[in-house]
Amino acid sequence: MLNKTHFAAIALAAFLWSQTSNASAQQFMARNGEVSFSSSTPVEDIAASSKQMSCILDASTGAFAFQIPIRSFHFEKALMEEHFNENYMESAQFPNGIFKGNFVNWNATNLKDGKPHSLEARGELTIHGVTVQRTITGTITWKDGKWVMQAQFKVPTAAHEIAIPDVVKEKIAKEIQVNVNATLTAK
Amino acid sequence: MYLFSVKTIQAYRLVVFFLALTIAPTLNLVLLGQPDLLDVLNEGVEEPSLPVTATFKDTRIVNGQSNETPAGGVLHFVIAHRFGRINEGAYALWGLDNATMRMGFDYGITDRFSLGVARSTLGKTYEGSVKARLIRQKSGSKSFPFGVTWYSVAMCDGLRWENPDRENYFSSRLSYVHQLVIARKWNQALSLALTPSYLHRNLVATQQDDHDRWALGMAGRYKVSNRFSVNAEYFAQIRQPAAFSNGLSLGVDIETGGHVFQLHVTNARAMFERGFIFETPGSWRNGDLYFGFNLSRVFTVQTR
Repeated sequence: MLNKTHFAAIALAAFLWSQTSNASAQQFMARNGEVSFSSSTPVEDIAASSKQMSCILDASTGAFAFQIPIRSFHFEKALMEEHFNENYMESAQFPNGIFKGNFVNWNATNLKDGKPHSLEARGELTIHGVTVQRTITGTITWKDGKWVMQAQFKVPTAAHEIAIPDVVKEKIAKEIQVNVNATLTAK
Repeated sequence: MYLFSVKTIQAYRLVVFFLALTIAPTLNLVLLGQPDLLDVLNEGVEEPSLPVTATFKDTRIVNGQSNETPAGGVLHFVIAHRFGRINEGAYALWGLDNATMRMGFDYGITDRFSLGVARSTLGKTYEGSVKARLIRQKSGSKSFPFGVTWYSVAMCDGLRWENPDRENYFSSRLSYVHQLVIARKWNQALSLALTPSYLHRNLVATQQDDHDRWALGMAGRYKVSNRFSVNAEYFAQIRQPAAFSNGLSLGVDIETGGHVFQLHVTNARAMFERGFIFETPGSWRNGDLYFGFNLSRVFTVQTR
């Protein structure tokens, strides 16, 4: 059954497969990254968190992306969660928050010294369907064959066209503080 | 006849298949550069199946129940006002002199199950109710097109006995309504509900009255903006007695933070199910309309 043509095809396939999978060996991923955000005003403190952020890093180039389902954010108060999805984020229409970009001056060899490094990621942040160019500074640490990432940044609601009515303006901060935290393992 | 034998064709097919399989990602890298990291991230990930939320803004559409229940640990408090008939005229300030009200408390034991108590000034009626989301509408890979919520209420007439000299039984004060609210959120703006309803009265006024009655509720809401919606509701009775009309109500919902204001015009004066579905004497045709408003507020008793 296994004639020469078959054999050649399989050998070729195996060779090419090994070549292509080289690229993905450099890819690191996380599926349960943590995101939390808070809005603090003298009137009210609002906070929510999710453990469903997925992240991907191409360690050969420093290309990086993360994605977070808006519906996965949980609030202490159920009505706040409903309003967050229905009235502010309109999550049925815009289901994910997304960052897509590159680490500036990425050099995987230098970064793998087990120490935390402060690094800039430059790219596009898409929230509520509105994309904004951002440079986000975070910390990255190479630990036990994993990349540990942390970042804190502010999201101005107006830049993402999240409408806040006058009656609740005093209760919601103009800039939302966001914390992200993820451990990426080899794909 | 044939240029190639079947076996040769099979062999070539296999080669082409393997080549395609292996070259595609390589070609992709060469021709298009890096594959999109987000595509790699979402490879083989199913769209999550989530329950559809906020089909209606409140637990009631106008008079009748929506499919919504208070979330677990949340106390939902409604004060409902219903003024007198608008066609009473200037003497009664178009009905504003004769307000009745209903106070209701509903508590979410879980996100899908709540218990309620209420008291209306009309008929000094007490209510005890249970409400449960049996089926939830779902989006995503395991989607389901509509939700089903069960509602049962026992009503107790609190008026003094009309005829205290005869033997009166407590059970005579009781009546029950059982409903299924079948609701669908068609899109962000439009939600519709069908509500088959069954009434049982332990005591009826005359021998001609039925103890058991059926009706079908039809209701909808249309969201004009994120915080403002227009609602309409109609209850069609089956074998409707001549003395009573079908309830038709029109209203708006206005949401402000933790409150929902509901303003409406209806031909039903009662704010409990037996009354507004089955015992509505007023009719739109005669201008027997009542203006009403509900004010609802939630209190988070237990955080999640």
